[in-house]
Amino acid sequence: MTSTKLYTAIYVVLFAMATAQVLIEFAGLAYWVGVAAILALSSLKAVMVAGYYQHLRFEPPAISAVVLVGLLAALVLTFAAAYSIL
Amino acid sequence: MNDETRHRTEPDGGHTTDGGHASAGERTTDGEHETDGGRATDGGHATAGDELDPSRIDGHADAAEEAFPPLGSIKRWFVTTNHKDIGILYTLTALFFLVFGGVLALLMRVQLWTPGGNFLSPLSYNQAVTAHGLLMVFWFLSPFAFGFANYVVPLQIGAKDLAFPRLNALSYWLYLFSGVLFGVSFFQGQSLAGGWTMYAPLNLPTYMPNVGATTAILALVLFVASVTVSSVNFLTTMHRMRAEGLTYWRLPLFTWTILLTVWMMLFAFAALLAALLILTSDRLLGTTYFAAEGSGSLLWAHLFWFFGHPEVYIVFFPALGVMAETFQTFTGRRLVGRKWFILAMILVAVQSFAVWMHHMFLTGINLQVKTLFMATTIGISLPFDLMVFALIYTMIKGRIRFTTPFLFSFGALVLFIIGGITGVFLGAIVLDYEFRGTYWVVAHFHYVMVGGVTALIGGLYYWFPKMTGRMYDEWLGKVHFGLFFVGFNLLYFPMFLAWETPRRVIEYDPAFVTWHQLATVGAFVLGASFLVMFWNLSRSLFVGEEAGDNPWEFATTAEWAVPSPPPLENFPGTPSYGSGSLRFLTTERALTPGEGSGGAPGVADGGTTAAVGGIDHDLDSRGLGGHDPDRSHDPNHGHESHASVWPFVVGLASFVVFLGLSGFRDGGLPPGMEGGIYAGIAVVGTAFLAFALVGMARQRFRGPAGPFGESWPFDGVENTKLGVWIFLASDVVLFGAFIGAYVFTRVAHGWVDWHVVPHDPTPGLVNTYLLLTSSFSVVLALVAAEKGSRYGLLAGLTATLVLGVGFLANKAIEWNELFHEGLTLSSSVETSTFYLTTGLHGAHVLVGLLIVLYMMGRAARGAYLDDERPVEYFGLYWHFVDIVWLFLFPLFYII
Repeated sequence: MTSTKLYTAIYVVLFAMATAQVLIEFAGLAYWVGVAAILALSSLKAVMVAGYYQHLRFEPPAISAVVLVGLLAALVLTFAAAYSIL
Repeated sequence: MNDETRHRTEPDGGHTTDGGHASAGERTTDGEHETDGGRATDGGHATAGDELDPSRIDGHADAAEEAFPPLGSIKRWFVTTNHKDIGILYTLTALFFLVFGGVLALLMRVQLWTPGGNFLSPLSYNQAVTAHGLLMVFWFLSPFAFGFANYVVPLQIGAKDLAFPRLNALSYWLYLFSGVLFGVSFFQGQSLAGGWTMYAPLNLPTYMPNVGATTAILALVLFVASVTVSSVNFLTTMHRMRAEGLTYWRLPLFTWTILLTVWMMLFAFAALLAALLILTSDRLLGTTYFAAEGSGSLLWAHLFWFFGHPEVYIVFFPALGVMAETFQTFTGRRLVGRKWFILAMILVAVQSFAVWMHHMFLTGINLQVKTLFMATTIGISLPFDLMVFALIYTMIKGRIRFTTPFLFSFGALVLFIIGGITGVFLGAIVLDYEFRGTYWVVAHFHYVMVGGVTALIGGLYYWFPKMTGRMYDEWLGKVHFGLFFVGFNLLYFPMFLAWETPRRVIEYDPAFVTWHQLATVGAFVLGASFLVMFWNLSRSLFVGEEAGDNPWEFATTAEWAVPSPPPLENFPGTPSYGSGSLRFLTTERALTPGEGSGGAPGVADGGTTAAVGGIDHDLDSRGLGGHDPDRSHDPNHGHESHASVWPFVVGLASFVVFLGLSGFRDGGLPPGMEGGIYAGIAVVGTAFLAFALVGMARQRFRGPAGPFGESWPFDGVENTKLGVWIFLASDVVLFGAFIGAYVFTRVAHGWVDWHVVPHDPTPGLVNTYLLLTSSFSVVLALVAAEKGSRYGLLAGLTATLVLGVGFLANKAIEWNELFHEGLTLSSSVETSTFYLTTGLHGAHVLVGLLIVLYMMGRAARGAYLDDERPVEYFGLYWHFVDIVWLFLFPLFYII
């Protein structure tokens, strides 16, 4: 397991990234560039929470696979459904 | 690793002579398990076998275990958590719903005897059509299969029970009460009447205003809750609790089909739950998802069919498993191409999530996506071809014995081939334009679905001797098959010929009257065939010949190596395939073939191991379930618990809550007394449910403890932890479907033109800070628990509670302001998606806070310091809720 120091550092980074997401909104970037940056930051935060706070980094990969299959199913539904009406 | 060093046997060598009950050796382990708080080690992790509730893991549970009543006691069936009992309950309840749905079908067929008949009113006919479909698909077919799955899978994999026996009982009671709730809907004005697909916008109060329609939808929500609990349980069990040496390739084929079925269920039903929750919200709270022009009806179709097509395989796979088992047993040879058969099934399970839009060829989705889904649909038929040929070649290579189970399985194969081929027509876009909405579809899916039922009926005959210890009457079984097969084809084949008849419509062209009359005659023949079955099986229960351990001679799976019915904890020792043969290991020796009462030797599934005969057992004490009446009075007879009344109480309380909720409409209640009654029921039900959940949480209950044989790929992951992760995976799909619904609706309405509801991202940002901080405080609580610091633990949990309450308070203030601006749930589809998606997340936060509150109470009394796992498992949930917010915040506040 990891140390409290690392947990704290991750917390600080997560806090900073959440703030950065709002700042991006006001940074004057092109809309879709901003969207991509904001969602990338969300994904990065999610990976950090899952990897360290939920200890997935230290679990057998099969557990991550189970969650990723669920995520994949949700993404397939979302993108295929949205594409179907484009 | 096996139990040899841990399980001692009594002087009789571990053989019981009192009815084939749990081995005496297990009794002697009591003390060992008790001294360590019921935990054994497994792969370096402690395993208690306790269920998901953390309170029982902390070793400070308050309530005592319940005594396990004998079989003859009615109480037994309300408190049992044993997988065999639950299997019998599922089977019997499912058969009740078969009769319920079947009678509705007969009413429809009587109505269709002549065009323009007036046996039923149009509205009654619509309700009959809808209820028939829903009852058969949800409350009969899958639960019938899961009756067998409950009974047989633990036996086939060498487990004493499912991983979480109380949750298994809870699944059953939620299932039963969901069915009762559906039945109640008929007495609330009228039930749902829009077809089993519940298409939007017909499913909205505008078109179906009756309370009964809402109740039917709530019944489905309750049913999905049952399925989700069950899925988590079966997956944990099958992945973690297989006997030593029982690798995936060696798993019996029925267990394989259940494994794949449950994986599909876990993800598919989560999407259905999203659809149902949104629909419930549209009806109860007045959101406007499915009423939204340009997106509502298509959104329902996407969500429903994303579930609906895997559901076809969810229903059919267990039937396929029965076919594979019975073909092997009654041809006396291993399934031809067994590995390819398994691979084909895996392929279908994956592909099943990529074909759903073939149900939407007549909607306005674009041609490219239709073409893509036509290709995937044709593609999914290919693995089935392999499976069909494997079954056919197995017959050719073997020596067939035409017993009743085989006849039904063979009949199922024939019917499935017809159903499959006629389905390919519907997979082609051009042909579907013609066939959609006609009796061709009705005939096709009945050949598939009821084809599956055919195999499952074969399964009932196949396992009846195992479940009861008695043989059915073979001649009557064959009469049943004859009537069934003739009735089936007389009922459904004319529908192909009268295919131009529009489905779900009370009227039809008089030109088709002959075909419809033939179908009606067939329906009654089919119905009558079941009378033969009920007579045969219920009579055989009392006067049937004793079946012995293995009445089928070439049956090869482990359930046939134990007495019929099996003892309470299934095996006379720890099952192991480690030596290449099935052995039951005790400290003294391994029981080998020929020992005990001499069950038939055979080739174990997988073709590499020799099965062992059964053990001594007293046939006179045999009954349904065959458990030891003497030991069952003793609450300490074994180290595992078998009785809890709480699953029943939670099921009943859930029923009351949902009944109360059914009266709500558009955020309010019906005027006058009616509204008061529904509100009263909801309040009482909620209090009742809270009481029941706390009671269940406080009860000391121990499920099967490790160590287990084969747990790959989850070695070292304790059962409860795996259960939490599997549940979270389904929650990923639930939230994913909600976010998908939002994205879809926004795309339909123009992404950049979308009106973002909160004017100011600040409240959302503050909530992000609060949740992130609360995640951190949970981590600190876990660290404190690991260090044995009670105050640190309490401080961490308290901080989490305060931050979570702050999150909800901030949200309440934000919502209140928006409401004052006139932005309510019903204002627009933008506000609907905002409030419902973030509201669902808020509900998750609330549930988390209730758990924190409960854990704080226990932590104050010193819990979790010697075993911090409950804190860790709660953290998994809480961090997940945090992660979801990390996406909801930008999606609903910023972009």
